[in-house]
Amino acid sequence: MTLELRLAWRNIGRNLRRTGLTVAATVFAVFLVILSVTLQHGVHEKMVEDAVRVLSGHVQVSGEDYLDQRTLEQYVEVGPELLERLEATRGVVGVAPRVVGFGLVSKGSSTNGVAVFGVDPEREGRVSTLPTRMVEGEFLAPGGQGGILLGGRLANNLGARLGDELLLYSVAYSLETAYELYTVQGILRLPEPALDRTLVLLSLQDAQTFFAYGNKVSEVALLADHAGEVGPILAELAGGVRGSDGAALAVHSWNEVMPELEQFIFLDDAGAYIILFILVVVVAFGILNTILMSVLERVRELGVMLALGLKPGSIFRVVYLESMMLAGLGLLIGLVLAIPTALHLEQNPIPMGEEMAGVAELVAMDPVVTFVLHPSTPIGAALVILFVAALAALYPAIKASRSRPVDALRSL
Amino acid sequence: MLEARAVTKIYETRGVETVALRDVTLTIEAGEFTALAGPSGSGKTTLLNLYGALDVPTRGEILLEGEALHGLSPSELAQRRLQKLGFIFQAYNLIPVLSARENVEFVMELQGVRPAERKERAMGVLGEVGLGDLADKRPLEMSGGQQQRVAVARAIVSEPRVVLADEPTANLDSRTAEGLLDLMHEMNRRHGVTFLFSTHDPMVIEKSQRRVRLRDGQIVADESLAA
Repeated sequence: MTLELRLAWRNIGRNLRRTGLTVAATVFAVFLVILSVTLQHGVHEKMVEDAVRVLSGHVQVSGEDYLDQRTLEQYVEVGPELLERLEATRGVVGVAPRVVGFGLVSKGSSTNGVAVFGVDPEREGRVSTLPTRMVEGEFLAPGGQGGILLGGRLANNLGARLGDELLLYSVAYSLETAYELYTVQGILRLPEPALDRTLVLLSLQDAQTFFAYGNKVSEVALLADHAGEVGPILAELAGGVRGSDGAALAVHSWNEVMPELEQFIFLDDAGAYIILFILVVVVAFGILNTILMSVLERVRELGVMLALGLKPGSIFRVVYLESMMLAGLGLLIGLVLAIPTALHLEQNPIPMGEEMAGVAELVAMDPVVTFVLHPSTPIGAALVILFVAALAALYPAIKASRSRPVDALRSL
Repeated sequence: MLEARAVTKIYETRGVETVALRDVTLTIEAGEFTALAGPSGSGKTTLLNLYGALDVPTRGEILLEGEALHGLSPSELAQRRLQKLGFIFQAYNLIPVLSARENVEFVMELQGVRPAERKERAMGVLGEVGLGDLADKRPLEMSGGQQQRVAVARAIVSEPRVVLADEPTANLDSRTAEGLLDLMHEMNRRHGVTFLFSTHDPMVIEKSQRRVRLRDGQIVADESLAA
């Protein structure tokens, strides 16, 4: 062991109580940072996974400008080749074409504005959880059968029950007025109240007929194995996706389709990171205080070492090494405690309390708190702690190295 | 060996100037056993610090073996101290986290002496100062006299040209102080090590071959005894 390392190591053992407190603060910070970030990741990833399964999918293929305009003018001419190509994309587990339009639905004297989704009953279940959200009746069957499904709140507002006939009317792709009678075949409960108040589902074939849309669809939703696959899927499709008519199509990830969800996650992260930043700053001041006290306590000793021929650069390194050893020790213990804890929580999500579980079920979430440990989390925490320790050590190290031996020797 | 040429040292504290040395010229020759004597504030420690490259004069120059120290960087001064000078301070002068042997090895380690040789030389010198059995003790486990003997061992182990000692007996009882002084005398006699003391201990002054007396920053007497 070099002289500098030996001096640094033994110096941190001089005041065990002070060293212990600083190390404990670092351990606490590392533990808290890793657990907090792991929880953030877990909650956000679950939020995304739950949200994309409501309707949007992880990726959507649509006509160019569809996201901005959302009219029947932006369409995808869909054929078997396109669906096969999308299904063959690595990481994709489900592909569901949809027609999306807007209209009015009436029962007796009640009328409501609605979003009309035409879905392929066979494919939809591979992308969204719509088929599992039935509270009454049955999900749509393949082919055009004249059945319609309603969101629960919409059904209430209309006073509609199973078997009732409803009049749906809108403007078709041909710009002619479209109207048709449909029989209520089922009622769903959707997690988002706005959607629950406005959603009606038709079979894809019925919707294409209603809107005079031929083989066109508004969007094709893709579900990935998990959100981490979105990047590779986008990369694979970046070469260009074309409809059966040869028209270029746009490919969007979930965060483009649901920017409000991404913004929520961003803001939530920002709030959490501010708190974590404060925590890290507290640790930095702890290290600064410990090292500065340690330097001030041995001014004369440093002076003796300088007088004997130890160069100022070596004094700097001794003090700097002390700081890094303190931080490193706290970091190591923190990682040893935090990583297994985070992995355990990842494998064993914490069940929510009864009250929270009720709320979660209302929005179709699993009533558990999930944790996800990314390798970047402990690496990031380690780098941040080492960086702040390196920064905090600068002042005492420079102060120690700049002292003149004659002043230091005179100090007692 | 050591030369002070027309050296003046002025300290300034909060705008108040204090003249510690006035136009002092003094040469210390190799092999001397010299005491700088005088009352507190006479400038003896200041002169010792200047000779030891620990401080720089306001005017005049200090030469170590013919080389002017003026203008050398802190690192270069550290290098000169390491290669040519040994130091003994009043107290608190050992590194508390190192054992007696490691303290003695400290300078040799900085000089790049190999570990085996370091250990052998350190144990040899600790034996000479009568502390062979305490080599693994840390300073806090030793008495003041034992600590000063370790400091002497550290000062001479790397065979410096000159050892500068600032009040080396100040915190010791007279018996321990006499033993320590005899030890340094022996080193001077046997190894030809030059010793320069700053002291007002009559015993140190009495045992010195050359006595330089300072008062108010000036040399007022310079006596050499016949060998």
